[in-house]
Amino acid sequence: MNSKVLLVGFPNSGKSSLFNILSGQRRKVTNYSGITVDAAQGDLLSNDQYDNKVKIVDLPGMYNLVPTSIDEGVSLNSLLNLTSDVSYNLVALVVDIERFESSMSLCLALKDLIGDKLVLIINKDDKKVITNEQRKLIEKETGLKALTTSSKKSNVREIDRFIRDSIKEEVALTGKVTLSKECLEYIPDYKDIPQVIVEEDQKIVLDQVNQYHKRAREIVEKIVRPDSKRVEVTRKLDKLLVHPLWGSIIFVIIFYLIFNSIYEWAGPLMDSVDSLVGLLGDWASSVLPDGYLKSLVVDGVIAGVGGVIIFAPQIGILFFLLSLLEQSGYISRAAVLSDRVMSIFGLNGKAFLPYLSGFACSIPGIMAARTIPSKKERVATIMTIPMITCSARLPVYILLIGTFVPKEKVFGFLNSQALSFFFLYFLGSFFALFMALIFRLTYFKGETSSFFIDLPLYQRPRLRIALGTALQKVKFFCKKAGTIILVLSIGIWFASTFPRLNPSEVLNKDPEVVASLQLQNSFMGRIGKTIEPVLKPIGMDWKMGVGLLVAFGARELFVSTMGTIYALGEVDEESSTLRERLKLEKDEVTGEPKFNLAVAWSILIFFVFSLQCTSTLAILRRELGNWKQPIFAFTYMGVLAWVGSFIAYNLLS
Amino acid sequence: MQVRMSTLKIGEKAIIDSFPENSQEGLRLLSLGILPGDEVEVTSKALFLGPLSLKHCKNTFFAIRRSHANKILVRLIN
Repeated sequence: MNSKVLLVGFPNSGKSSLFNILSGQRRKVTNYSGITVDAAQGDLLSNDQYDNKVKIVDLPGMYNLVPTSIDEGVSLNSLLNLTSDVSYNLVALVVDIERFESSMSLCLALKDLIGDKLVLIINKDDKKVITNEQRKLIEKETGLKALTTSSKKSNVREIDRFIRDSIKEEVALTGKVTLSKECLEYIPDYKDIPQVIVEEDQKIVLDQVNQYHKRAREIVEKIVRPDSKRVEVTRKLDKLLVHPLWGSIIFVIIFYLIFNSIYEWAGPLMDSVDSLVGLLGDWASSVLPDGYLKSLVVDGVIAGVGGVIIFAPQIGILFFLLSLLEQSGYISRAAVLSDRVMSIFGLNGKAFLPYLSGFACSIPGIMAARTIPSKKERVATIMTIPMITCSARLPVYILLIGTFVPKEKVFGFLNSQALSFFFLYFLGSFFALFMALIFRLTYFKGETSSFFIDLPLYQRPRLRIALGTALQKVKFFCKKAGTIILVLSIGIWFASTFPRLNPSEVLNKDPEVVASLQLQNSFMGRIGKTIEPVLKPIGMDWKMGVGLLVAFGARELFVSTMGTIYALGEVDEESSTLRERLKLEKDEVTGEPKFNLAVAWSILIFFVFSLQCTSTLAILRRELGNWKQPIFAFTYMGVLAWVGSFIAYNLLS
Repeated sequence: MQVRMSTLKIGEKAIIDSFPENSQEGLRLLSLGILPGDEVEVTSKALFLGPLSLKHCKNTFFAIRRSHANKILVRLIN
C-alpha cells in the first residue's frame, strides 16, 4: 500500500526541519512548469518497517488558501490535486505558536476544503511552549487531532506514529475555495474544477478570509492568554528602539559593535586556524617525498583550501551575533528602520540583513536573502550582494593601500589610507544598491514593492541556540566552499605548474628565478600573456593578469600569487619584501616603475566590482536555480570592474 | 472621524475601518492577523516617511510602509 502526506504551514514554521527528520533529509526539488520551487518529496524513514509506504511532500509556505505568490500557488496546486493523478491521503498542518491565530485561520480554511483528513502538528521549541491542556482544547475546538512536538531527533518515532495512525483513504475534496482572478496566475496547472469558485469582486474573497480569521480568533482567545508583562516590556522597548531619532542612533551603534567584534574576535581565531593549516602543511612536507605529489598537496590543496578555511571564524562569529539579535526580536526592527533607505533602491527592509551579512562573506548573505518575500526583490538583492566588500577583499586592500597610498593627513585630521579603505567600502555598497535599483527599474520591473512585517515580542536570546546556529553555518561553509575550493585549488596548481620547462633552461639559476620562469611558461602564464591586451588599457601587465585570474578561485589568492610571480615564494600581505619588490618592479621598455598609484587604484577598483569568487557563483547557481543569472551577474560586474579601473587608471596617470 | 492610517500620530489609537481595495495588500494584512474592526496604536513613525510601527489589539506588534497605511481607513478613538 502507498500513501501520500502533504506538509503545509507558514513560511519558516519549522516544516522543513520536520520533513528532514522524518525523511532523513533526502530532499528532491520538484519542478512546476519551468519554475523551480523548493517543494521536497521524500519517503518516511520508517517505511521499511511497515507495509504502508508513506511519501511525504514538504510544500512551500502558505498563509491562506488564496495565493499571492508562486510559492502559495504551488501549495494550493497540490492541495487541489491539479497535476498528479495520484491523490493524497492526509494533510499535516504545522502550527506556528508565534503566529497562532493566523495558523488557526489556515487550519479552518483547510478543514472546510478537505474535511477531517487533516491533522495538526504544533511545533514548539525552547521559546514556544504549549501545555497538554491547551493541546486538548485545540483538539476540541477544531475537531482535529493535534500533536505537540519539537523537531528534535528524539521525537521522530512519535511524529512518525502520529502521522501513520492518522492515514486513511484518499482525500476527496468536500469543500470549495473562493479565489479572485489575480490569484489564478500563481497556480501553475490551474484548470476549471468545481471546487474553485472564481470571484470578480476582490472584496468577497477578502471577506471570506476575514471570516476564517474571526473564527480563529475566537478559538485562540479560549486557548491562550496574552503575556501582558512581555507585551508591556515590548511596548516600552519599542518606544526607544524604533524611535525615529534614538532608534536610528542605536541601530548604527549596534551594527558598528557587531562589525567591530567580528574584526576584533576573529583575528586571534583566524591566526590559530592559519597556524594549524601551516602545521598541517609542514607535516605533509616532511612526510611526503619531494615531487609533484608533495607540491600538489602542500601548495595546491593545503595552501588553497587553507586560505579559505581561515575565514570560517568570521562566519561563525557573525552568525552567532546575528542569531542573538534574531532571537531577541531586534532584526525585524532593524528591517523597519532601514526600509525607507532600501525602498529608494526598489528593495525591501528585509534586504538589510542579507546585505549586512555580505560584508563578512557573500555566501551567507545570499542565503539570508531567502526571507525576502517578493521574488523579484530577492533576485535583485542576490544579484548585487557580491559587490558588497567582503572580508576576502581585505588582504588585497591592505597590501595595495599600504604600499601605494602615501600616509598623509587629509583636511588636517583624516588619515589618507583609512579614507581609501572607507572609499572602497562605500563604492561597493553604493553600487550594489544602485545596480539593484537599475534591475528593479528594468529587468526585474513591476511587482510594487511591499513591506509588511510582524514585530515579535522581545525575549532574552539563548546562547546555546546561537552557538548551534554558528556551528551549523561554519560546517556548511567548510563543506560547500571547501569542496569547490578544493577542486579549484587543484586546477590552479596544475595550470600554474605545467607544462614544465626544459631542464637546460633552468640550469645554474636561482630557485626563485626558476619559479618565476616556470610560471611564465605554464598554462596560467600563457593565459596571462593572452589576456594582456585587455589589461593594457587599465594599466596592468600579464603578471597582474595571472593574479586576477587566480583570484577567481578566491580573492585572497591574489596576494600569494603575486608573491610567487615576483619570485618570492610564499608571501603574505604584511610582507615588506613583497611591497618593496612591487615598488621596484620596472617596465621592460620604458624603465619606469611598473606599479604606481594609478596601477594600484586600477587593481583596487577592479577588486571592488569584479565577481571573482567561484564559491559565490556556485551559491548563486543554487539559490537562483539557473546558470543564466549567475553568468549575467559575473558579466555585468566584470564590465563595471573594467570600466571602473579604466577610469581610475586614466584619471591618475 | 474617518482618517487614513498614515496620518495617525505617535500614541494615537484607532479602529480599522476598511482595507485597501487591492486584494494583495488586504491578504498580507490578514495573514499578519490584522482584521477590520481591530484596534491599533501607533508606536513609531520611522524617519523620512519610513514605515509605521503599530501595536495591534492586546498583544501583537507590526510595521507597514506608509504607502500601505495610506490606503487603510481608520476611526480615531480618544
